[in-house]
Amino acid sequence: MAIYIVKRFFMMIATILIIATLTFFLMHSIPGSPFDDERTSNPTIQANLEKYYKLDQPTHIQYLNYLKAIVTFDFGPSIKKPNESVNTQLARGFPISLELGLVTILVAVLSGITLGTFAALRHNGIVDYGAMAFAVIGISVPNFVLATLLIQQLAVNLQWLPPATWSSPKHMILPTLALATGPTAIIARLTRSSMLEVLTQDYMKMARAKGLSPFRIVFRHALRNALMPVVTIMGTMLAGILTGTFVIERIFAIPGMGKYFVESINNRDYPVIMGSTVFYSAFLVFMLFLVDIVYGFLDPRIKLHRKEGDA
Amino acid sequence: MKKWLMFMAMAMLALVLAACTANKDAGKEPEKTDANTPSEDDGKGSGEEASAGDKILYMNNGEEPTSFDPSIGFDAVSWSALNNIMEGLTRLDDNHKAVEATAEKIDISEDGLTYTFTIRDNAKWSNGDPVVAGDFVYAWKHMLDPATASPASFLAYFIEGAEAYNNEEGSADEIGIKAEDDKTFVVKLTAPNEAFLNIITNPSFFPINEKVAADNPQWHANADTFVGNGPFKLASWDHDVSFEFEKNEHYWDADAVKLDKVHWAMVNDSNTAYQMYQSGELDVSGVPSEMAEQLKDSDELRVDDEAGLYFYRFNTSMEPFTNKKIRRAFGMAIDQEEIVKYVTKNDEKPAHGFVTYGFIGPDGKEFRDSVGDLISYNPEEAKKLLEEGMKEEGYTELPKVTLTYNTSESHQAIAIALQSKFKEVLGVDTELQNVESGVFASEQKEFKYQMSRSSFLYDYADPVNALESFITGSSMNRTTWSNAEYDKLIEDIKNETDETKRWELLQDADRLLMEEMPIFPLYFYNQTTLEKPGVTGILRHPVGYLDLKYADKN
Repeated sequence: MAIYIVKRFFMMIATILIIATLTFFLMHSIPGSPFDDERTSNPTIQANLEKYYKLDQPTHIQYLNYLKAIVTFDFGPSIKKPNESVNTQLARGFPISLELGLVTILVAVLSGITLGTFAALRHNGIVDYGAMAFAVIGISVPNFVLATLLIQQLAVNLQWLPPATWSSPKHMILPTLALATGPTAIIARLTRSSMLEVLTQDYMKMARAKGLSPFRIVFRHALRNALMPVVTIMGTMLAGILTGTFVIERIFAIPGMGKYFVESINNRDYPVIMGSTVFYSAFLVFMLFLVDIVYGFLDPRIKLHRKEGDA
Repeated sequence: MKKWLMFMAMAMLALVLAACTANKDAGKEPEKTDANTPSEDDGKGSGEEASAGDKILYMNNGEEPTSFDPSIGFDAVSWSALNNIMEGLTRLDDNHKAVEATAEKIDISEDGLTYTFTIRDNAKWSNGDPVVAGDFVYAWKHMLDPATASPASFLAYFIEGAEAYNNEEGSADEIGIKAEDDKTFVVKLTAPNEAFLNIITNPSFFPINEKVAADNPQWHANADTFVGNGPFKLASWDHDVSFEFEKNEHYWDADAVKLDKVHWAMVNDSNTAYQMYQSGELDVSGVPSEMAEQLKDSDELRVDDEAGLYFYRFNTSMEPFTNKKIRRAFGMAIDQEEIVKYVTKNDEKPAHGFVTYGFIGPDGKEFRDSVGDLISYNPEEAKKLLEEGMKEEGYTELPKVTLTYNTSESHQAIAIALQSKFKEVLGVDTELQNVESGVFASEQKEFKYQMSRSSFLYDYADPVNALESFITGSSMNRTTWSNAEYDKLIEDIKNETDETKRWELLQDADRLLMEEMPIFPLYFYNQTTLEKPGVTGILRHPVGYLDLKYADKN
């Protein structure tokens, strides 16, 4: 297990480096620069700016600087907001995205698993149809549409909740609802289908024949196996939700880090692109690593050390 | 089941821990915001109890200001704040004229080259220091220092020695600005400039408290270190979330300021901002484009001119637009009135020349009115010109025309309208191409597009600011068009000291530009905002910066 973890750790570092290098060269191959806009751009001013951000240096020097930035985790100042370093932006935005993400994931996992389980137990019953109708809607309605609807109905028309910003628990309700609906639906569907499969297995009959209580059968024997697909998607889902979602954060004016991904690319804000990409990929790779470990706990048949040989 | 829950909980915990170790500061931040939020709420609550009559205006800045260093924050999101927490020598009044502000007296030498400003005795910084001439010298040199890399520095090139210093060709001591004594600030220009007093209303010409800045170069980064000299002071700044102004009791004209506080949210989504406006959390909001038609007749809607325009460029080195008649044919095939009425639907004024409305000449007449419509919809003439142009070039078939715009729904709508007009009037099939805006900006400057979308916003209130874009080799030209007569006209305008003559030359330049047609104009911009009933006195200038000095809320 320890060897496996060490191995996986070095794989993680290698993956991040590859992603970082690809990002760097892709970023420099797209036309445009951070200083291109509609306004008059005086050549002198452009030169001053390029010098200030060391963009006048040859590409390989810039690449080395960039590798140094990754190792020291210091990406320097943002180009669009020259008074702030990329580190400051990430340190400010990430905890907020994380806060929203954790609440969302919690809501999605609890309600998704509950819905899915009951739907499977009442297969082809009214609960099943109800839950699956909800799931279809949840998957197919984009969260920004839902967000706008929620604001218009609950905040503007009924005035129950504040429409936007991120300043009190009350402000968290609408964005959480908007963001959690999709993942809830996905988790509910996955739980339902794998639960249905598990329930037909021989060992379920065995459990029933042993005279175990239905509660114990479902939660101890069935659900545990039925959750494998859910855990599989959790890694990417977590990384995606926890590091901020651009659209929801924009609509609700939440100062998370989602916008740095998107806006930095539009602005060609190189340090922010690099900082957020490296951060995001490190986070994603780490989540996948965690999921692999959780597998081992949930399903003893998956032996971590056996994977060692594969890797 | 318990085990499973335990694992989930463990995974969650590991996650949170990972998040905290990923960055040392990351863990601290939520605690800080957690601690701040209740205290802020408390502050607000008790504040309201203590002085229920406090006038607080709720505004939206859209996003985090770029910088409150006046040399760096060169955009609207910084100016809207800076213009209210700092003040330059001059300020725009409600007729958009530059009048004395921090300066109480302005003497201009007879040759128009030397400006002597006398600074008010009661002009003070928000920390109580007097504003001295040295603060202006310090700030302007800071802006021109190549190491500052200020995007605004070109505005100061009218000043002697400024361009050379910014180019690293001269020294700071050779710049024609001087503090004769604490209250006298002298500026020497390279050539007389009608617009100079207007140009220095731009925040990049605001003073910087030299003592404060020397002490802490990052003085502008946070509210507790920020020192300004405007009608308001910066009371708090929660980065990326909001900031707040309080009335500045040290301001020389504090009696004129009616608001106690201004709260600025940073809501980037125009629909959300509008919904917050509807639910009473904002007093002022923009108009989301989807709502423009519905809100057209609202009592809360306010429309102000904005000096700038939407236009298209021809690449005069790419066929068929090497031919003037063909360029004019395309220009005349466009119906500007139709575009503002049916496509943009935002009450803009159609553009029949390049210089915008809002410039009054020495004869007291509006520039646009005296020049008249220089290009307008004329299908017959357009067809005729196209035929003649094709004959001149020996075309039997017109070379393929591609129209390029940066990706956006509104640009697309206009491009489609143009495409159908070219087909309808000239019988020409054009192709549309949209390009991501970063790529668009750089490729347009590299002359890669035959015909492309553009916009222009004035940097200062003088027609020459727009017209000089099209001199040979200007970085704003982007058409490859070069005309010796036009270059000469702009040169003459810059050296002309007689106001009436200068005005005639400006009109000639606008005429020549439209005659040669390297570009064709579509419409002039405006600013549409919603203001709650009871909100008064907010100044919005065609060229200039949001001014809350006289704003009030009842």
